[in-house]
Amino acid sequence: MPSRADRSDGSTPVPFAIGRRELDARTSAISIEGELDLATAPQLKWMLLDALEEGHSRLVVDLSQATFMDSTALGVLVGVDRSLESGATLAIVCANASLLKIFELSGMDGVFAIFPTLDDALPGTHGRAAEAS
Amino acid sequence: MARDTGTHPTPARRAWRLASALVLVSCALSLAAIPTATARRDRTSSTATSTPPAGASSQTVPAQSGAPTESLPRPQARRHRSAESAHPPSTGTGTARHDSGQTQPSSTQAEEGPEALYNTAPAPGLASKARKHGRGHHREGETTRSHEPGKRSKAKSTQPPAESGSAPGSPTVATTAAAGAQASASAPSAPVAAAPATTGPAQATGAPRSAVDARPTHAVRRPARAPRRAVRRRAGSAALAPAAAAPAAATSARTAPAPRPRPAHAGTRRSSARARTSPLVTTITRIVDVVPTPVRLLIAALLALAFALAVRSRVAAVRARRLERQRGELLEDVGLLQAALLPVPPARLGPVGTSAAYSPAAGPGAGGDFYDVFALEDGQLAVIVGDVSGHGRQALPHTALVRFTLRAYLEAGLSPRDAVQTAGAVLERQLGGVFATVVAATYQPRERVLSYACAGHPAPVVLGGGPDAHAVAPVTICTPPPIGVGMRTGTRQTAVSIPGRAQICFYTDGVTEARVGSELFGSRRLLDTLHELGPRASAAALLERVAERADARPDDMAACLLGVEGDDAAPTALVEELELDRDEAASDRTARFLLACGVERADVADVAHAASVAAGRAGTVVLELRLGDGPPRLTLRREHLAYLHARRADVGAAL
Repeated sequence: MPSRADRSDGSTPVPFAIGRRELDARTSAISIEGELDLATAPQLKWMLLDALEEGHSRLVVDLSQATFMDSTALGVLVGVDRSLESGATLAIVCANASLLKIFELSGMDGVFAIFPTLDDALPGTHGRAAEAS
Repeated sequence: MARDTGTHPTPARRAWRLASALVLVSCALSLAAIPTATARRDRTSSTATSTPPAGASSQTVPAQSGAPTESLPRPQARRHRSAESAHPPSTGTGTARHDSGQTQPSSTQAEEGPEALYNTAPAPGLASKARKHGRGHHREGETTRSHEPGKRSKAKSTQPPAESGSAPGSPTVATTAAAGAQASASAPSAPVAAAPATTGPAQATGAPRSAVDARPTHAVRRPARAPRRAVRRRAGSAALAPAAAAPAAATSARTAPAPRPRPAHAGTRRSSARARTSPLVTTITRIVDVVPTPVRLLIAALLALAFALAVRSRVAAVRARRLERQRGELLEDVGLLQAALLPVPPARLGPVGTSAAYSPAAGPGAGGDFYDVFALEDGQLAVIVGDVSGHGRQALPHTALVRFTLRAYLEAGLSPRDAVQTAGAVLERQLGGVFATVVAATYQPRERVLSYACAGHPAPVVLGGGPDAHAVAPVTICTPPPIGVGMRTGTRQTAVSIPGRAQICFYTDGVTEARVGSELFGSRRLLDTLHELGPRASAAALLERVAERADARPDDMAACLLGVEGDDAAPTALVEELELDRDEAASDRTARFLLACGVERADVADVAHAASVAAGRAGTVVLELRLGDGPPRLTLRREHLAYLHARRADVGAAL
């Protein structure tokens, strides 16, 4: 991958991308590409908070394209999860083994609802999620 | 270091001193130049009214005759003159004689010429005496009014009567006398002018006479008095003598005691005074003379600016020194606080070699890591390592809170798992959204057993010291979450038997998340590094080696190393504990945990069911798996800290 090549010289950070899709009136899916760390985790935080501001109560964080996350990113997820009002949910889509290991080692696999795919995370919006993606 | 810079002059400080010295010297020079400049201005103004000394004799005459009223008495000039020679009396009397002689004695000459001539006779003699002192300019100028230029002194000294005699004949004096007569005639007291015409001159001539009488005694010794007295007397006589004498006396009073200031002489005197000054000042004065006034003002402004800047720089330097001192004090305070959070453990605690180290990240990720290594009363050794999710100064209070809470529970005798669980329940509300990953451990030297409990924190590396040494592989499944995420924690504990030599490494995720190229440093490299360093390595050496191998360290690194002596027997995992409630017991996670611990897959469902039933009765149950060569021996026991959760539930209901 070019991102790896860029990172190997130690000067260029791994490309990071984050985007939000509104699957329906109350569901937002935030997909992340690259590394979630001290520098990029705040973007995830603001995007999640924006979705909550707009009245979206079903949040999905798609980490399928993410390569790494540190304790700061975990802190963002924990903070948002704890600020959810009753009825709101935060689901995580992750099939990456290394990321799953991070969740396991930090004990967060028992905190979040982690699904292997987006469709698993959004059973009620199955069709729309497939269309949107 | 900071103190050293305060005592030893740095190059910048030396340059500052040099600059300030230059500014001071330039200020002093400018101050020295100011009086010289003013003196020069005075000199130029004085030379503007008079001419240079060389050509003074020829030009003082029109200046004096053209502007007699300018010659008002100047005490200074008079003093200078009287101090120098007997010229002033001759000048004063000469002038008095001359001016009044042109006006007042003119009537005398007109009516009783001989007496007037006699009275005026000594004056030229005195004038010649004065001229012998080398001050003849004034006399020359005055005498030209009654005589022809050239050989005047001789004519005066040798022919006094001739002078007086020729005076009436002189057109100038005649004109002046006529003017005085006309003035007296046209004066308001004209009616009485004729009567005193005979007495007036007599009284008026009395003045010159008395002046003459006084002259031999006063003229040379106290020359300045003579004309004044003469004028006074003449004025008094003029007051007594009405009419024609009055204007004449007034005229003489105005003109007689007012000898022209002698700029030429003053200039000569100053130049002689200047000649006595040092050549340096003379040179500077010449330079200053050449500089135009605007440039001089500009230089003064620049000097003032330089002085202001110097003062400002000085103030800044003083302030910088003060700030440096305060910074040192603050650093000392921070050092004390950091020492409270990151204590230096003793090199050995019983049979165990201990070391700890902390390496803050260079960027904004610094702060949040903490550790503690201490001895317990029963000879056990306790270790705490943790990481608060916040960074920087905001993390400090939380790190202290978590560390000392855990330490208190460990010192109170709780097991690591109980300590973490209790701390998690207690600190949940105090951390305010911040969470903390921790590992708490105790080591029993007699049984050579290490027990540790993690809460979202990586398990310690236990590395044997034998030739085929390997690290104990921890079961990471069902790791409890960190303290502060709102979930029950402290549900796991692992006991490791360490029969022989071993290295125990507690660390924070900053170590394994350091970057080597595009990869994480990882636990594999950590193990390799521990191998390389050997059993007696210190935590500081470990972190140093990690920093050398890593390209970037985005987070803090903290590590505690315990070195256990012994033979080559390899460490093994002894006991795995997991506390479960009923739902958790039936979860897939628990099944995976049982499988990881070596429980046969066929037995997993039975164990999970039994745990679920037991937890249903007591709220939670502790699953204890004693590991060995064969399948683990399973024990279910009641959790003795269950009352803590019950109390917390009550509190929640009450709220």
